[in-house]
Amino acid sequence: MKQHLGRQSGVQSVDVSLIDGKVDVTPKEDGQIDPSQLLKATYGSGVTVAEMGVTVRGRIVKDPSAGIALQFEPKRSFAVVPNETSKELESLAGSETIVTVRGGLYKKSAGKKKADTSAPLKLLILEVQKRE
Amino acid sequence: MEMRKLALLVLLGTTLAPASLAQIRHVEMRVEGMT
Repeated sequence: MKQHLGRQSGVQSVDVSLIDGKVDVTPKEDGQIDPSQLLKATYGSGVTVAEMGVTVRGRIVKDPSAGIALQFEPKRSFAVVPNETSKELESLAGSETIVTVRGGLYKKSAGKKKADTSAPLKLLILEVQKRE
Repeated sequence: MEMRKLALLVLLGTTLAPASLAQIRHVEMRVEGMT
């Protein structure tokens, strides 16, 4: 799995802990990594992803469907799942403020044997680490 | 003329620098079924 993920676009290094089943992926400096591709690649290596989290830096923008989104590349963004933390960031939509947030992108549904990896990933913000 | 070029460079730098720093910094997963 480590080699398989290491071959994915934008991946600099992969650390796997067999004890707790934790996989840490460090992107390359350019940050051109695709979490949905990583998710598919991990399933492709024969294991089940229970959850996926991300630390991402970007701008808050308005999203027509989800209220706000976090834009981390000119044409790429995560729709943000509304919660208490995201409400605090709503006022930053459209501003030049850059935020660094930690959040969940994917959680396996209980009871489902086969995961749906085709659905767009939404960001559930758990913590705002920095505003600049 | 040189001052205009310099001012434009500073303006572009301050505008584009934060955007280029926007990116995914880290991804972590918890997986099951690993042997």
